[in-house]
Amino acid sequence: MAETRHTLSSRCSCFFLYDRSKVREEGDLTRAGIYYYYPEHTPLDLQELVCGQLAGVSRCVSEISVSPVRLLRLRRSKYAVRMRDDFLWALSCVNDLPDVSVCEFLDQIIDLFCFYNGSVRHSYQLHTQEELAVRWAHYLSHLQGGATELHHIFTCLTTIDYTHIDPLLLLKAALILQACQRCPLVLAGCILYRGRMVSTQMSPQLTMKVMVHERETYSLQEQKKPASGRSSLMATPHYSTTTTTVFLKPYELHTLRRPLVDNTSSCRSESPERPVKPRLLSRTLSDTPITDPSSSQLLASSPDSSLSDDASFSLCPSLASTPFRSGMASQPGEVGAAESHTHTFASEMLLFGGLAPGPGEDGEQERADVSAEYQNHSNNNHENLRALRDGEKKEEEGVEQANDIRERRSDEEEECVRVCDQHDVALEPMLLYEHRVRGLVLILLVEPGFDTHPNAKQEVYHSSMASLNGLEAHLRTIPPASEIPVVPYTFAHYDRIQNTLTTNMCGRSAGLQDRLFVKATALVHSQFSHEDMLQEAIIRSAGSALYATRTAAQETFFVQHGVPARNSGIPNSQDSAFSLPKNLPPSSNTF
Amino acid sequence: MAAKSSLLKVILLGDGGVGKSSLMNRYVSDKFDAHLFHTIGVEFLNKELEVDGRRVTLQIWDTAGQERFRSLRTPFYRGSDCCLLTFGVDDAQSFLNLGHWRKEFAYYADVKEPDSFPFIILGNKIDVVERQVTTEEVQRWCCDNGGHPYFETSAKDATNVAEAFEEAARRVLALEDRQAHVMPSDVVDLRRKPRSSSRCCL
Repeated sequence: MAETRHTLSSRCSCFFLYDRSKVREEGDLTRAGIYYYYPEHTPLDLQELVCGQLAGVSRCVSEISVSPVRLLRLRRSKYAVRMRDDFLWALSCVNDLPDVSVCEFLDQIIDLFCFYNGSVRHSYQLHTQEELAVRWAHYLSHLQGGATELHHIFTCLTTIDYTHIDPLLLLKAALILQACQRCPLVLAGCILYRGRMVSTQMSPQLTMKVMVHERETYSLQEQKKPASGRSSLMATPHYSTTTTTVFLKPYELHTLRRPLVDNTSSCRSESPERPVKPRLLSRTLSDTPITDPSSSQLLASSPDSSLSDDASFSLCPSLASTPFRSGMASQPGEVGAAESHTHTFASEMLLFGGLAPGPGEDGEQERADVSAEYQNHSNNNHENLRALRDGEKKEEEGVEQANDIRERRSDEEEECVRVCDQHDVALEPMLLYEHRVRGLVLILLVEPGFDTHPNAKQEVYHSSMASLNGLEAHLRTIPPASEIPVVPYTFAHYDRIQNTLTTNMCGRSAGLQDRLFVKATALVHSQFSHEDMLQEAIIRSAGSALYATRTAAQETFFVQHGVPARNSGIPNSQDSAFSLPKNLPPSSNTF
Repeated sequence: MAAKSSLLKVILLGDGGVGKSSLMNRYVSDKFDAHLFHTIGVEFLNKELEVDGRRVTLQIWDTAGQERFRSLRTPFYRGSDCCLLTFGVDDAQSFLNLGHWRKEFAYYADVKEPDSFPFIILGNKIDVVERQVTTEEVQRWCCDNGGHPYFETSAKDATNVAEAFEEAARRVLALEDRQAHVMPSDVVDLRRKPRSSSRCCL
């Protein structure tokens, strides 16, 4: 029973997986190659027509241009395309999603499938097409559900509202994850509440993937729940843990496993190597200034930037989840050196992010300098840890190509695809451990031996249970953020590194102004993804103006309502697009 | 079965570092971890036990002792059936602060009659050699403050831990029995309702 929900929020109008190896001879039927087609009720003739033509065009274009096709633009629609081995995926969307978002969307679906099922070829040898159709439909519906249109544009993670939560609770969540890592079989984890991310140690891509599993078990639990559903504080909470097999790409695993050296040493508290800090974690807690809300928000949301001044934390495996930090942690045995790198690096990143959008050559020069240093740092690393700028440069070179290649942001994905286009990468089976306390879920990526280890599971379970109970109780008492103060502006701030979005338009019903904001944001985001050198942009209508700015690490979109539009026709600081209100929320002006 | 056993909420209060989390962990999971970090906000665990032939589920709430976590922990005092005031026998200040904890609890838990509320005093860390608080001192304090029972415990050695929690359960059950005796269930309690509603009006 594949779910073919076609709601308002559904982005996808067509998606298919096609196996070219099944259609080689003249007499071979196209339908033999169609493994999955969405919408599923599409007449087979039409399916054959679309698949056959798109497969033909894709092949033709990629052979002429000697590079894989990423996007095919037809007169009224566009298809994101992925070719790997003999497989071809294509996806097209209903609304005017930017090219970059459609391509991301397609990559996410394929990634999700491989994460939970292993290699595509192998999956289709093990399971029937009907069985796997259910899964494709499930991943499609997951990626389309829940989030707002803005989230779809940026294809970002849905997080809890960090502006309405005590930052100490984010710290609590981060500490729970770190406590779990005391078990050497635990690689990394994340904590979700009601389907939204609270804290994660994994890369945004991995976090996105594990969130699907959470939703699956959540809906299962909801079904089992009695109709009354009265859940008071005093009721006995129902716990459940599950483990399921997942498949990681070699570089993902490499990134997660790399800090294992530090991990094991911190597990044995009697380790002779670090006699100095016997009470590592409590020391951190008492010494970290956590009274300042903005800094503590950073603590949980971007550990790599704010905790870098604590030596003990720079050793912590959790921080290796972001590409930047993994680069630092890659020199085994050079703890001191790694730490000092971290310091320089953190300040570089600040500089990088805080650069005023310099006009003309100066700004460019500065940016180039910083990125060059950055490259030096990460030179000896795995290919997926490439600097953002590096990826952008590569893109410049490829921009001339006839087919519409729009590759952005996730450099590791890009690398992966380069590899994948040749052959299916060997995926490594790992386990996903899930511990649920009502709406709160702890998800851990663990080594395969975790399930069979005599007491690893028990230990992780017992050591985290009390804290999870507590965190759940805390989060439950936070009132839903319905009372967002009405402010005369709308903003969206997109963090490209963590792949998260902060905006003040989430909870509200989409009025005309909001729809215009979304449309303008999509347009500028698309423009940003095409033009590397573009740092600022303004889009105007008769009544309002959207101002957008970006760096390598973030994009910010802003529109002010109800001010008389002043537009001199040429760039002018007196224009209304620049007149920011006096008290902006911290998330939009700290960077 | 589970439906029959009643749920008793027991809360551990006391200064930071006196061993509240360790006491809970020792009692529920029989584990001791010397490297626990500070509790942030609240945490809780459930433990089923049988007291005098009655099955009860003890829900043990562990709280953060540090002042800066105050706003996080106080909302969870409400509805507690018993309060375990904890101090470290190696830390005189934590003993002197017991009075403050008692007051804070009575205020935020909205206890009507603090004098008859079941408090239990726990002097933890008796495994430590250098004591700063003598047994007599504590017993005197308990006598002066309404005759609370006192237990000297060690979460590290598992001394007296189970006994203390079982006593808590026993006290709560005894109190419930007394109240059930005083007020039969088919009588409407006129005394309590108006009080709570007048409180709302304030």
